[in-house]
Amino acid sequence: MMSDQDVHHTTDDRKRSRAVSPGAVAQAGKIGWLIDKGGIIFAGGIFIAMLILIQEVFLRYVLNSPTIWAHEATIFLCAVAFIYGGLYCAARNTHIRVVIIYDLVSPGVRRFLDVIISLVCMISAATFAWASWLMVQRAAFAPDGSFRLETSGSAWNPPTPSLLKIFMLAVMVALAIQFLVLAVNYARGVTQAAPSIQAEGEK
Amino acid sequence: MELLDLIPNLKSLGIEYGTLLMFALLLGLLLTGMPLAFVTLLVALIFALGWFGPNAVPLITSRVYSFVSSFVFVSVPMFVLMAALLDRSGIARDLFDAMKLIGGRLRGAVAVQTIFVAVVLAAMSGIIGGEVVLLGLLALPQMLRMGYNRNLAIGVICAGGSLGTMVPPSIVLIIYGLTANTSIGELFTSAFVPGFMLASFYVIYVLARCYITPEVAPDPSPEAVPSGEKLRLLKGIVLPIMVVIFVLGSIYGGIASVTEASAVGVLGVLLSTIVRREFNLPMLKGAVLQTLATCGMIVWIGIGASALVGVFNLMGGIKFVSALITGISDNPTIIILFMMLILFVLGMFLDWVGIALLTMPIFVPIIKSLGYDPVWFGVLFAMNMQISFLSPPFGPAAFYLKSVAPPDISLGDIFRSMLPFIAIQIFSVGLLIAFPGITGR
Amino acid sequence: AAEFEFKFQSSDPSGNPNFELQQGWAKSLAEKTGGRVKVELLPVGSVVEHSETQDAIAAGILDGHITDTSYFTGKDAAFGLIANPVGAWSDPEQMFDFMENGGGRQLMNGLLEPYGLHFIGATTPGLEAFVSKVPIDSVADLKGVKMRAPEGLVQQVFAAAGAAPVNLPGSEVFTALDKGVIEAADYTVFSTNQAQGLNDIAPHPIYPGFHSMPLVEISMNKAKWDALPDDIKAAFEQTVHDFSRHQVAVLAERDEAAAAAAKAGGKITVHNWSAEERANFRTIATGEWKQVAERSANARKVYDALTGYLKEKGLVK
Ligand code: NA
Ligand code: NA
Repeated sequence: MMSDQDVHHTTDDRKRSRAVSPGAVAQAGKIGWLIDKGGIIFAGGIFIAMLILIQEVFLRYVLNSPTIWAHEATIFLCAVAFIYGGLYCAARNTHIRVVIIYDLVSPGVRRFLDVIISLVCMISAATFAWASWLMVQRAAFAPDGSFRLETSGSAWNPPTPSLLKIFMLAVMVALAIQFLVLAVNYARGVTQAAPSIQAEGEK
Repeated sequence: MELLDLIPNLKSLGIEYGTLLMFALLLGLLLTGMPLAFVTLLVALIFALGWFGPNAVPLITSRVYSFVSSFVFVSVPMFVLMAALLDRSGIARDLFDAMKLIGGRLRGAVAVQTIFVAVVLAAMSGIIGGEVVLLGLLALPQMLRMGYNRNLAIGVICAGGSLGTMVPPSIVLIIYGLTANTSIGELFTSAFVPGFMLASFYVIYVLARCYITPEVAPDPSPEAVPSGEKLRLLKGIVLPIMVVIFVLGSIYGGIASVTEASAVGVLGVLLSTIVRREFNLPMLKGAVLQTLATCGMIVWIGIGASALVGVFNLMGGIKFVSALITGISDNPTIIILFMMLILFVLGMFLDWVGIALLTMPIFVPIIKSLGYDPVWFGVLFAMNMQISFLSPPFGPAAFYLKSVAPPDISLGDIFRSMLPFIAIQIFSVGLLIAFPGITGR
Repeated sequence: AAEFEFKFQSSDPSGNPNFELQQGWAKSLAEKTGGRVKVELLPVGSVVEHSETQDAIAAGILDGHITDTSYFTGKDAAFGLIANPVGAWSDPEQMFDFMENGGGRQLMNGLLEPYGLHFIGATTPGLEAFVSKVPIDSVADLKGVKMRAPEGLVQQVFAAAGAAPVNLPGSEVFTALDKGVIEAADYTVFSTNQAQGLNDIAPHPIYPGFHSMPLVEISMNKAKWDALPDDIKAAFEQTVHDFSRHQVAVLAERDEAAAAAAKAGGKITVHNWSAEERANFRTIATGEWKQVAERSANARKVYDALTGYLKEKGLVK
């Protein structure tokens, strides 16, 4: 369960805490559940990024010895969180949608729209996965075919560019699978037990 | 690869009809209820495939990669994390209770103070996204609790939360300065008065509404508050002010860069929750997870716009738009107005990053060749970007607020609430054109 | 329409003087070929980000680029060394001579061709001026100075010289310098620094610069290059050659004018290092080259060619 429910509430307007919804939607299936659970790793990364920035300020201002790695490490942690965040929202169905027409149509048409939208997103994600693979080929292999991870070229010179591209490939593949699972489950008529957050948000 | 045959050869349309089709597709797909992030990505994909073929698809993933690894966005998760922590503590409630007390007998005082908080936040950050979320979590529930009109509260938050790119430091002005090769310091100086002018217009509007239609704001508390209670309430303002001093002090004291200062803000809020004995691990876990979800949503909206602009530029978009502008008239004023119109229309469909990326390289050389002051135009550009944050159907501020607002507030409600503020912004753009002296140039 | 149409992306923004000069190159190429070749020059970031142009050209998305070679250091350390061998050149003409007659061209093509690109020629904005809030007149003055330095070798050399390099992106340089988060910065040439207001907030610029002169490559997709007739290839090479000299001359003139204006203004103190201090810095820099040479076989090749050339010309002992 999401930790939000266990939080010690000090104010009476806790109703809003649906901003953090109770996990992946039912239609997202097993993979959705997994994506939701994996979120904590990358969310933790954001927190670590904050700590790194603070220590960099301390080292530079107080000790006059800035690191060569703090900014690149922060960018990397935030970048993986941003990419994963898109997948996370897909599993939880919390990406923003304009549902003016969607809400006017009958439940049958709506289900049809859900299936089609999921399929189209699945095709896009699969195409991006293929394109990411082309990028990974250039980032992870030298022209002679030998394995070498492209680095940032800075004084620290970490392999973050290639790692990020490999991570993008993995997320695009997962995103394609997630949308496929969503399409199948929408077609089968799986419904959410708990009220869905975003889909019902628009009235 | 047979699938590719389904994609018609779009290149044969030519850039004029191609551009039209692009807007039509964006609008059409937006209305199906497809997630916004995937609408722009899909349109980018369709045009990459249809105009250039499969070879061009890595352009999109390359832009996604560059977008997420850009340092300017690091402050967004920091602001969202600050918001998520504040949301889980009683700080927001105590702050607004104290603000109400300070507001005294002024009708609409808390709404005005919220704009003031927004200006302070704007001085702490150079980008938007984080602040709208922060105000959405901080101020919206409090204003609703106190009995403010919902639309007024929403409008104040979205318009106020967008000030980050108008009040220095501003990433829009920095990018503009680099593009136009003009002094960023002069841009910041010149944006100061227009930024505060805009904020004060919001204040005037809010006060006018509160006095003309008194039902939009709660009655100022008639009963006298005992001084012991007063002191207790005023304590609520101490911690937030200390956090602000932390952040602004670290920026203006030369201790931290603007991005680092946002992390200092998180630390400040974190320490405040510890001081208030509200901190615990489940709370922190909830806050970071909410940050991940909100940032995923915010960033993916920008990703698609950035990819789309890359494809459009490769299609020859730059040449097309600059020919369009220079062909419209020989009258420089009409050219400026036409640029404003282009920005306004693009603002309906794209995220600011996409608009800046697309239009700055085109506008800057034209402005210079017409003999206009590029610093003044930079401020005008930033002012126009304010409109793009609010204007439907693609209004980032509305989306950011939607992601944290109570579910019964729809996007339609949010956009309706923004209309008066958009009018104020358009008026301000007009003022800057009519009286360039406002920028001090 | 033209017989050959190409899209080149620059690493400079559209309002930057470099970009305007590069547009002049595209125009001269069209004139020289009687309109047979048309190069559409796109500003930085318009199609892909500056660090991604090499991949985009290889994939056939873009046709060519005009860009700082050091952006590709992460692919092979050799790019970083040849792009900005800190301390090697005290005059653009020396670098051009190395590229054209000292084996630089062959080296560049040896590096680029496996990646699917062909090197047409080199240019440079010239010696960069140093931006500083504090007076710096010697290597000793660099000690403990918090300064922004972006790329590998530059950062490494300044660290070796005793400064405290801070890794900040270009978008943060202005505010960080203004508020004093950093005291100095490696940025660009004097006139551009002056135009962007950097010298106003950091009134102790060092000009002429001592630390950095980037190699800006003009290169394009190899298959597309190979398919060109010889006369067109020759026109490309000739116009790039002329353009590089023109760019250096124009920017040097503007730098001089800007420096004179700055001196006359009275608020800015322009510092100029003695030959001795320049030599001290150069000694530190060349020591760092060796370390880069260890990073890849190509970097070793660049190192050998570079040191061989400098010795032959008597530029180092
Ligand atoms: Na700001
Ligand atoms: Na908009």
